[in-house]
Amino acid sequence: MQDNNIASKNDTGGTGVEQLRPMTAPARLAVAAEKRASNVAALKTKAEQALTQTFEEVGDRLPGSAGVRQLREDAIGRFETLGLPHRRIESWKYTDLRNVLKVALPPAQSAARAVSASELEAALGPLAKVDAMRLVFVDGAYAEELSDLKDCETLAVAALGAELENDAAAADLLRLDAGTDDAMLALNTAYVSDGAVVGIARQAKLDRPLMIVSVRASAEPQFVFTRNAISVGDGAEATILEAFVALPGAAAESQSSAVTELGVGDGARVDHLRCATDNGKALQLSNWVVSVGAGATYRAFQFTAEVGLARNQLDVAFRGEESKIDLSGAYLARANQHVDTTLVVDHAVPACVSRELFKGVLGGESRGVFQGKVIVRPDAQKTDGKQMAQVLMLSPNAEFDSKPELEIFADDVVCGHGSTSVDIDEDLLFYCRSRGIPEAEARVLLVESFIGEALEKVEHEDVREAMTALARTWLNEAAAEV
Amino acid sequence: MLEIKDLHVKIAEEGREILKGLTLTIPKGEVHAIMGPNGSGKSTLAYVLAGRDDYEVTSGDILWNGESILEMDPEERAAKGVFLAFQYPMEIPGVAGLTFLRTAANAVRKARGQEEMSTPDFMKFIREKAAKLNIDMEMLKRPVNVGFSGGEKKRSEILQMETLEPTLCVLDETDSGLDIDALKVVAAGVNGMRSPERSMLVITHYQRLLNYIVPDKVHVMVAGKIQKSGGAELAEELEKSGYAEYQGQAA
Repeated sequence: MQDNNIASKNDTGGTGVEQLRPMTAPARLAVAAEKRASNVAALKTKAEQALTQTFEEVGDRLPGSAGVRQLREDAIGRFETLGLPHRRIESWKYTDLRNVLKVALPPAQSAARAVSASELEAALGPLAKVDAMRLVFVDGAYAEELSDLKDCETLAVAALGAELENDAAAADLLRLDAGTDDAMLALNTAYVSDGAVVGIARQAKLDRPLMIVSVRASAEPQFVFTRNAISVGDGAEATILEAFVALPGAAAESQSSAVTELGVGDGARVDHLRCATDNGKALQLSNWVVSVGAGATYRAFQFTAEVGLARNQLDVAFRGEESKIDLSGAYLARANQHVDTTLVVDHAVPACVSRELFKGVLGGESRGVFQGKVIVRPDAQKTDGKQMAQVLMLSPNAEFDSKPELEIFADDVVCGHGSTSVDIDEDLLFYCRSRGIPEAEARVLLVESFIGEALEKVEHEDVREAMTALARTWLNEAAAEV
Repeated sequence: MLEIKDLHVKIAEEGREILKGLTLTIPKGEVHAIMGPNGSGKSTLAYVLAGRDDYEVTSGDILWNGESILEMDPEERAAKGVFLAFQYPMEIPGVAGLTFLRTAANAVRKARGQEEMSTPDFMKFIREKAAKLNIDMEMLKRPVNVGFSGGEKKRSEILQMETLEPTLCVLDETDSGLDIDALKVVAAGVNGMRSPERSMLVITHYQRLLNYIVPDKVHVMVAGKIQKSGGAELAEELEKSGYAEYQGQAA
């Protein structure tokens, strides 16, 4: 049991997710006093120390050439300097990771537990019905026997772990965070074990989605680091679904960091979907870094349910004119779960359109966070950006923090944002009940209606239906609790 | 049989009395029409029958097949066969029409002690009814009433009515916002549901609808009361003379 935060209110065994609430004033003073009394090294939390020290032990066993090893060492050095992000860092204002992540779980090792095809189907639930090419990773290691990639000559796929052994390719695959001050990206570079390296040929039209599945199977609590590097050629069309699921026997505590770097070619069209469900306690850090070429369409959607702490970071930059992006999501949180969506849209070039719609349902003492930064650079004229974040509170103890930020440096632009907390519409409730639907069921239906408006953004019908089914199951369970 | 006895109703929040001693009986198998000017309390009556809680019944009673429904929740009334076709059908974004119909149908079937319908049976059942109302199945895959025209909304309302197989149909201004073709389709749907087992109450402003749904009786409602009752010919009289004489009476 390691717990170095005296302000901690509840005890989850020292790992995973704890309630995120501001410390009381005396507690803050006590922490400050503790810091003053200790030397510089002790300013690091135990988790921070563990994360840097563990690297010395496991660094040699992580995949990669000597060049990769050097990149990893540079990255852990950056992490050591930066430390875990905390609430005084603006972009982490509402998700004080340093305070929450009290104990860093050991990084996943390559010897993954074997998962059978039927176990995988069961874990996927409604997503199993989506007809897709599959790339499966179990506890952060590629599972070839569970993957299915037939009929994909327009697609080049490799496992990152294996690719990292090749010096020439590796340098590019892990360069993403060099020069940034993103501590969690640096940590991912240091520890990443595997992931998907995907190249979609120019003009290729994938007739089935590519589904990248991350399965959490190990009964040992661990920290899984994965990274996908996806490049979509000019004029290509693809639907890419990242699914995160857990087996029933997986460890109660878990941490993961999943990074996807995606390049969308000129004139390409990419639907990029994320569906994350877990046991209600998992800590998941997700980071998408996307660059969009000219005349392209990029539609991202993120569904999150039953994750203890989700930090969904989206960083999308326009690299060519006349492109359109839609970043949307739906999330469901209860108990003391915490879902943070933090996005940055960079209108670096003129004449692009961006839309964001995020909807959350918050029960119990859960907390939703939305931070949406839209940057319109000086020559990005004719930019059209709209953003909306909405939540529906099922409980008076839930909390929603919304921080839209528009940084507009051009003058000929249309940009707007909104953020609302809504209630169940009493007129609609009566309408449903007058059709014989009992009140409790009608309420669930209307929450489904609320979240359904976001789910409609998912254009792939099977995926949308699977997410709708997951939402419905969640809502029925949540309704039964009340 | 529907029996409304000396019903007094006020708006719960502001306390203003809307229905002031309304008495009305609709025997099984009959179609009655209520006509009246704006503000006479017609829509209030419709909502009170369906069980909306914005209204407070201060005295009187509503008996449906001999049983008072005043203490029943809207869903209980629906299970007992009461159906209100709304003047302004509501939009439910994010919920597909078919999902809504199925949820409602299964809820009332369950409450009536009937078995839930299997998916193929339900689809067949809906497809037949939708076809009669000129409703495309694609329309039912879209969210309930979202983006529908006035006519589409009213047809969707009648489809809901047919799906729930009620025994008391209350149609509130079903003709409002309908062009003549849509009116004919809707009226045909309603006429198709006329049966010796079913009572219907058609609330309307204008006589036009009653050319297509010919009522057994017409009641004139002004100032929260039935002022006069008669046969179908009363509607035509009203069309000529208006409500002026009744308004004088009420004052």
